[in-house]
Amino acid sequence: MTIALEVRNLRAGYADREILKGVSFAVAPDDFFAIIGPSGAGKSTLIRCVNRLVEPSSGEILLDGDDLVSISQRKLRAARRNIGMIFQEFNLIERLSVLDNVLTGRLGHTGTLRSLFRVFKRDDIARALSLLDRVGLSDHVHKRADRLSGGQRQRVGIARALMQNPRLLLVDEPTSSLDPKIAREVMALIREIARELRIPVLCNIHDVKLATDFCTHIIGLQDGVKKFEGKPADLDERAMHDIYALEVL
Amino acid sequence: MRAKPSSDVGVIDADAPATVRVQHGHRTLKAAAAQRPSPPAEVRRYRFMQNLKRDGSIIALLAIVAWSIDRLDIPLDRLPGLLGRMGATLANRYFPPDLAHIAHADYLHSVFETLQMSYLATVLGIVLAIPLAWFASANMTPSRHVGYPLARLAIMACRSVHEMIWTILLVSILGFGMLPGALALTLFCIGFAGKLFAEAIEAIEIGPVEAIRATGANALQTFVYAVLPQVRVAWTGTSIYTWDVVFRAATVVGFFGAGGMGWYLRESMQRIASQEVAAILLSIIAVVLAAEFVSAWVRTRISRAIA
Amino acid sequence: MNAATMNARVDGIARDRSRTRNARTLTLLLGLAFVAATVYAIVIKDTDWTRLSIGGIATTLGRFAEFDVSMLPGLVDPTIDTALMATLATFLGLFLALPVAWLGARNITPLGRASYVFGRGLMTLSRSVHEIIWGLIFVSAVGLGVLAGVLAMAVRSIGFISKVIAEAIEDVQPGPLEAIRAVGGNKFQVLWYGIVPQVLPVVLGTVIFEWDINIRRSTIMGLVGAGGLGLVLFRQMARSNYGGVATVLLAVLALIILGEVISHYARKAII
Repeated sequence: MTIALEVRNLRAGYADREILKGVSFAVAPDDFFAIIGPSGAGKSTLIRCVNRLVEPSSGEILLDGDDLVSISQRKLRAARRNIGMIFQEFNLIERLSVLDNVLTGRLGHTGTLRSLFRVFKRDDIARALSLLDRVGLSDHVHKRADRLSGGQRQRVGIARALMQNPRLLLVDEPTSSLDPKIAREVMALIREIARELRIPVLCNIHDVKLATDFCTHIIGLQDGVKKFEGKPADLDERAMHDIYALEVL
Repeated sequence: MRAKPSSDVGVIDADAPATVRVQHGHRTLKAAAAQRPSPPAEVRRYRFMQNLKRDGSIIALLAIVAWSIDRLDIPLDRLPGLLGRMGATLANRYFPPDLAHIAHADYLHSVFETLQMSYLATVLGIVLAIPLAWFASANMTPSRHVGYPLARLAIMACRSVHEMIWTILLVSILGFGMLPGALALTLFCIGFAGKLFAEAIEAIEIGPVEAIRATGANALQTFVYAVLPQVRVAWTGTSIYTWDVVFRAATVVGFFGAGGMGWYLRESMQRIASQEVAAILLSIIAVVLAAEFVSAWVRTRISRAIA
Repeated sequence: MNAATMNARVDGIARDRSRTRNARTLTLLLGLAFVAATVYAIVIKDTDWTRLSIGGIATTLGRFAEFDVSMLPGLVDPTIDTALMATLATFLGLFLALPVAWLGARNITPLGRASYVFGRGLMTLSRSVHEIIWGLIFVSAVGLGVLAGVLAMAVRSIGFISKVIAEAIEDVQPGPLEAIRAVGGNKFQVLWYGIVPQVLPVVLGTVIFEWDINIRRSTIMGLVGAGGLGLVLFRQMARSNYGGVATVLLAVLALIILGEVISHYARKAII
């Protein structure tokens, strides 16, 4: 089995409080990993450590063999080009159009001067349009991002992440701000595209049912420690108690 | 048991007993009273000097005011008739204003000069204030250890020095004319707009910034795509307001030799031609009020258009 | 969507984007032309470059560098005077701002639209006239000296302080006011127990902010004869004693920094 992403003994936190206390796991190209656990377990921190939006304090994160933790800022920017991220609050640029938002996915590959004047290559525009078609937003291409519904905005976020031609998808609570029905549609869309393009997904999720329904592997975190790793079928009641111990008893 | 936060959507264990303890209601008022915290030891009718910090500050302030009046030799005895005397002076020396003095092409040209100085100073000042504000913003500064303190210092320096001080400094270096005035006003504008621009940046949402950074964009791209769209509205309003303030100052810089309407003011004052002074003052006030109207109008129109 | 339609669409979009870009570039160039014209008028036409030279400028700048440290002890008094002028002026400005705010607050203005407009007009007038001009007006009215400076700054401060107070009064929550009226309170009690507590924090913050600005203003009021550091500055300039000017400016900077520090902590104390 080839490994796309490997996390070794990841630690992260502040001076007075450690949030991640040595987490390790490996993700293969066809995997869709879900990270579940109670609030404050460090799920979001774990996701953000991979592209260093949060700085880890120690450990290794190997993406296709390169350790992301120790590289310089410049190399980090290059590495980030290959990691697409989808956010809970969508994080679109409200005043820009849907098309422009998706195009920002190519910023890492566009020269600074061109990007300052929003000059994107024709190929990029074509790719953006086909991605928007794929996520079902062809009719909204020129609309301003703040005029879309939650589900639509998340789909723009998905298209933006895919614009980067990523080798890994980081997904941070994609459905917490969405209605249950839309949430399932969005999860299905992510799973479908990831399978199609063979992109591994690391997804932080609150709703355990969504995790078991859509993902290939589950990691349970509690208080910064990995309490469970396995397939959804293995997630029995004892495992749930392990992960959510403090909350259920 | 620790109460579960209601935001948890996870369907964990619906059968778990709800063992949150419920407070029993008090059976009698007496029992309730017995549970209340005891009242303060002493409750006086007059609450003077109970809150030492607050009352102390008020007394200190009044003392300072009294001391100032004494030390600065403020003639309190002259104050009562002040308004009456001012009215008399106005009526006798300054009325009627000599409008003929200002109704000629040279003066109108000076009004135009004032506009030119204020326009250039605002444009230049804002262009320079933008990168300074970026570096001076606590959340988005690209250089936390060098650029940030330097930028904040630069903005503070421009703000602390009064625009008239800049004017007289630059006039002594460059001589009379519009150039020192425009430069002085530019420095003033950098300080004024720079601070407001930086504050707008510090109020943005970090989400879009994270998203743009996550695509591998560099600092400048992040600024253009994540910061600028969020501050655009606030900055536009600030810019128009800044021009308004700069224009107000521009009408006066001429008093210290820097071109514009103020020069005529000084000229008439030196000859103690009070009626001319009155006319010039009126025209300055009129022009500034007009500028305020225009800038308020532009602000409403533009904020509707770009929001 | 098949490849041909997609291609056509991409072409259309690419064309639109470059068209918008060209339009924007054109507007930018027009703006730049305007700026260039103004620069020409100011820097080329108006400036007498025959009398200016890099050497001359350098010499003047050099003269500024001749600090006169012996002056500093003598500057302590004017500095204190300047600070006190600002304090007094802010106090007076607050006092005068209260009736203006009363007039300019939509919910408590006594004579309806007329008094409201009058109040707002006074606010605008106070803010539109530059403090130097107020200074000149008061110097001609009460003579040279500190009084003119204090009055000028006080009147200048009315505009901002009263505007903030009026807006705070307009934003007041009606609930507590109704409660006071319901138990039989009169207009004054409604004001003192209902409005003032809600409005006080904002007002105090504004007064401190305006005090800080007045420190800045009081440093130059002396330029029109109103005493303090500004007067010393004026005298040094009149004698072309650039070294002395630089020294006075040091004192000015020190005072302003002190003012910023004090106002920073004072505002924190209120919150």
